[in-house]
Amino acid sequence: MISVKNLNFSYTKKPFIEHVTFEVKSGEIFGFLGPSGAGKSTLQKILTGLITTYTGSVKVNGTEVKQRDNSFYEQIGVDFEFPSLYEKLTARGNLSFFNSLYKKQGDIDALLASVGLTADAAKKVADYSKGMKSRLNFIKALLHDPSILFLDEPTSGLDPSNARLMKDIVLTEKARGKTIILTTHNMYDATELCDRVAFIVDGEIKALDTPHNLIMSKGAAKIQYTYLHNGREEKGQVSLSKTSEDELLARLLRNNQLLSIHSSEPTLNDIFVEITGRRLQ
Amino acid sequence: MRTKALLKGDIGFQFKYGFYFLYLVFSVLYIGILFALPFEWREKAALLMVLTDPAAMGLYFMGAIILLEKSEKVLNSIAISPVKSREYVLSKLLSISIISTAVGLAIGIAGGVVSNLLYFSIGVFLASCLFSAVGLIIAANVSTLNAFIIATIPASLLINVPAIAYLFGFKKNWLILHPGVSMIELCSSGQNAIFAFLVLVFWTVLLAALSSRVVGKMLQAVGGVKL
Repeated sequence: MISVKNLNFSYTKKPFIEHVTFEVKSGEIFGFLGPSGAGKSTLQKILTGLITTYTGSVKVNGTEVKQRDNSFYEQIGVDFEFPSLYEKLTARGNLSFFNSLYKKQGDIDALLASVGLTADAAKKVADYSKGMKSRLNFIKALLHDPSILFLDEPTSGLDPSNARLMKDIVLTEKARGKTIILTTHNMYDATELCDRVAFIVDGEIKALDTPHNLIMSKGAAKIQYTYLHNGREEKGQVSLSKTSEDELLARLLRNNQLLSIHSSEPTLNDIFVEITGRRLQ
Repeated sequence: MRTKALLKGDIGFQFKYGFYFLYLVFSVLYIGILFALPFEWREKAALLMVLTDPAAMGLYFMGAIILLEKSEKVLNSIAISPVKSREYVLSKLLSISIISTAVGLAIGIAGGVVSNLLYFSIGVFLASCLFSAVGLIIAANVSTLNAFIIATIPASLLINVPAIAYLFGFKKNWLILHPGVSMIELCSSGQNAIFAFLVLVFWTVLLAALSSRVVGKMLQAVGGVKL
C-alpha cells in the first residue's frame, strides 16, 4: 500500500529527513511517533504529495508520489491537526462543498451522526468549539471513503469521551479495510491504535515495530509488591521472568502477608526515551 | 463537473461572506452618482465606473477571497483534493465575472452607454476575468491584506491609466493593444471593437494561464516548500 525507500528531504541545505525506509501494508494502522519538530508532519506531507522535491522512492497505492496526478487524491483522506473549514458556512455546508469535489460521495448525515454533530449540522463553524471543529474536520477526511487515511493528532484538544469516540471510528475504519497513517506524539493513542509504530527523531526512524514488541524488547516487565515489616510498609520488586527466585515474595504469598501486588510494564514513552534519548511530550 | 461544483461553492461563499451585498451597495451608489451628474457627462462617467468598479472589483475581491481561504486554511484541503489548479482558477474567475457583468450592465444601462448588449457584456466579463486573474496572482504571493493592497496599486495604475486617457480623448489606435483600452473600445462598440475583443481575449487567456501556474505553486507551497 505504501512503500518508502531511502527517502531524503530537506527544507534547507541542511539534511532533515534522511535515509528513511519503511512499508505499510493494506489495512494496517501505522503510527509516526515523535516529539514536535521531529519530521512526522513533513513525512506526512511527502506521503500526501504536498512535498514532491524529495529524493528516493515514495510509492502510495502503487503511484510514485512525485509523479501523481490529481486522481491520486480520490483515494486519500487527510485530517489535518488544525481545522481546515469555511468558518461562515455551516457544518453541513462545508461537508456538502468538499463532498462535491470527489467522484465518490459520502453520506453526510451518517457521518455527522457518527461524531454526534447531527444537532449542530446547521450551525456555522465559527460558532463551533475546538472539539466540534476537530470532529467535523475528521469526518471531512472520510467523505469520499478513501482507502488511505492520514490522521494528524486526531485526538488533540478533545475531551476523553470525544477522544474515545474518535478512536473507535479509527478502529472501525481499520476494520473496513482502510490503511491508516497516524501522526502523533500521544503514546497512549499510538499504543492503543497502531499495529506498528515508527519512532522518529531528527528526521530519522530510530525504531520500528509493534508497540507490544517495542515494549517487550526491553524485557523490563516487573512485579511490584508491598508488605509490612516491623510495623512499616516496605516495597519489593522483581523481574517477571525471575518471580520464582524471589524467596521473600514466595514467603509473603504463603503467609498471606502482601499488602498489594501488581505487574508493571514500561510504557511506549519509556521505551521511546530509552531508544532515542528524547521525550515525547 | 468539478468546476461546476467549485463554481457553485464559490458563489455560495461569496454570498455568505457578504460580497454580493457589497456589490449591491456599490451599484446603487454608482447609479445614484450617475443620475446626479450632468447628462452630457454620463456616458464617459458610466464607462469609467464600469472599468474601475465592476470590472476592477475582481482585483480586490479576489485578494480578499484568497487571503480568507489562506487564513481559514481551506487551501490545505483543496491542495489534497482532486481539484486541479486550472479548475480552481476558472471557478474563481467565473464566479466574480458573472456578478461583475450583471453589475456592469446595470450601471451601463443606467448611464445609457450600452449600444450593443453583446459587446458590452463580453467586454465587462473579459475585463473582470483579467482583473480577477491579476488579483489572484498578487494574492497568491502575499499573506496580509496590507501587502495585497500595496501590491495592487501598480497593477491598478497600469491597467486603468491608459484606459482613462483613451476614454478622455487620447484616442490612438495602437493603444487598443492595451487590455484596459480594449475593454473601453469593446464596451463602447467603437470602430475597432472586433480587434479590441481579440486583444482582450489574448490578455485574459494569458493572465488566466499565468494565474493557474501561480495557484499550482501556491497549493504546493501549502506543503511548506517554495518551488
